[in-house]
This record gives sequence, C-alpha cells and structure tokens, in this order.
Amino acid sequence: MSAPADVMKLKICMAGEAAVGKSSLIRRYVLDEYDDRYTATLGTKITKKSLTTKDPNGASLSVNMILWDIMGTSTLRELLKEAYYHGAQGILAVADLTRRETLVELDGWARSIRSVAGDIPTFAVVNKTDLEKDRQLTHAEVEAFFRHRGWPWSYSSAKTGAGVEDSFRGLVERVLSNRE
Amino acid sequence: MKEALEKNQDDVDALFVLAALRVLAGKVEEGLSVLDRVLRIDPKYPGAWMFKAKLHNMQGEPEAELSARRRAEDAER
Repeated sequence: MSAPADVMKLKICMAGEAAVGKSSLIRRYVLDEYDDRYTATLGTKITKKSLTTKDPNGASLSVNMILWDIMGTSTLRELLKEAYYHGAQGILAVADLTRRETLVELDGWARSIRSVAGDIPTFAVVNKTDLEKDRQLTHAEVEAFFRHRGWPWSYSSAKTGAGVEDSFRGLVERVLSNRE
Repeated sequence: MKEALEKNQDDVDALFVLAALRVLAGKVEEGLSVLDRVLRIDPKYPGAWMFKAKLHNMQGEPEAELSARRRAEDAER
C-alpha cells in the first residue's frame, strides 16, 4: 500500500477591482458554473478546493486551497487588510480586459496584501477574453505591465471557462516553487 | 448592504460590512458592537476575529486585542 501523500493547506487571496470577475472565476473553477447576473460580493466568501499536483521535486502533492474572495471595494481595503490577508500564501490578481484601469489598480491591491502577508507569490489573470470586441488592453501593454513586476500571467474567461484552471494551477505552482 | 439587512437583520455579510463602515465613519465602539453581533451569529466568520483585534488595538485595549488575535489563529487553523 502506498503512503498517503502530504496535504498542504494554502490560503489564496483574490485581488482586483469590483466586477473584474473574481467570484465568477472561483465559481467556474470550483463548480464549473457561470452566472451572467452580476452580484457584488458582500463581506467575505471562503471556498475550498482540493487538487493534486506535483511539488518542484516531482513528487505528488495534495493541496487544499482556501480561496478568500473579498469585496472589490478600495475604500474598505486598508481597514480590512489584516482581517483578509493575515496568513495569505498567494495572490490571484485579476484584471478586466475591457477596463484599462483595473490593470493599474492591481498595484494597490498587491501593495496592501504584501503589507500584511509579506512578499508572497502573485499570479495575474486578465479575465473576460470572451469580450474581445470590447478589449481596452493590448497584449503588449499586459505583457509590459506584468513583466515589469515579475508576475506570471494568463488570460481567462470565467464565462467560457477558458484559461481558468490554468490560472489557479499556475498560482499553486508558483507558491510551491517559492517554498523550495 | 441595507437591502440585505432589510431582508434579514442577521445577515452576517451585511453586518460585517456595516461594522467596517461604522469604523470608517470614526465610530469604532459602534463598529465593535456590530462585529460582536457578527461573531455571536457566526463565531468563525472569515476575518472577523482579526478585524476585532485591530479595533481593540485602535481602542488601546491590548489584552482584548491579544485575546481576539488568538481566536483568529484558532478560527483559521
């Protein structure tokens, strides 16, 4: 009988402005569902997701992700940052392809989280690729922004599911490689 | 938030936001009171104990802050 795999608990915080799709990304990733009606997140929502991955040495590893989905309200962010970000081990930073300002605002979110949790790994996602016709960000702008900050990134659509799994897995892999 | 509280006066999400808004308005004592109500309804409400620790710190109450911080660590374990 094989030995049980190690189980690692990871607290992941979603970051980004209101209506970029943070809750929809979690819903798609965990439940494989999408709802077109927008409901602003009130308070804090915790969602758990287990996955099996490989650690940087290639060994199988079970991960219990605790996904913290919070209000995308900048006015409350500073007041609640300790409440939300204490003990966080990774950031999934979400921008909206159709709103340029949501990319720039990620700096404020990352700064707030890091002031509490330290220099933890960040993985960025540009969401809403299904709305290509409304795109406000070029590939070059996105690449320059994330390269400058050293954050890996990907594109996603919570609506179609494209790129969603890869984004969460990308963050987990970055967290794990950072622990080596 | 108001709408949620009109539908259900024990809506913990709305109460948590209400507590934060009271503090933002400079009414820390009121914020703590609402937050205590959140914790009576849901003692494991995410982030609530850590927020309570911060508010006690703002009030200059180190023992209450430490106690809340310990509860926060327990709740997230």
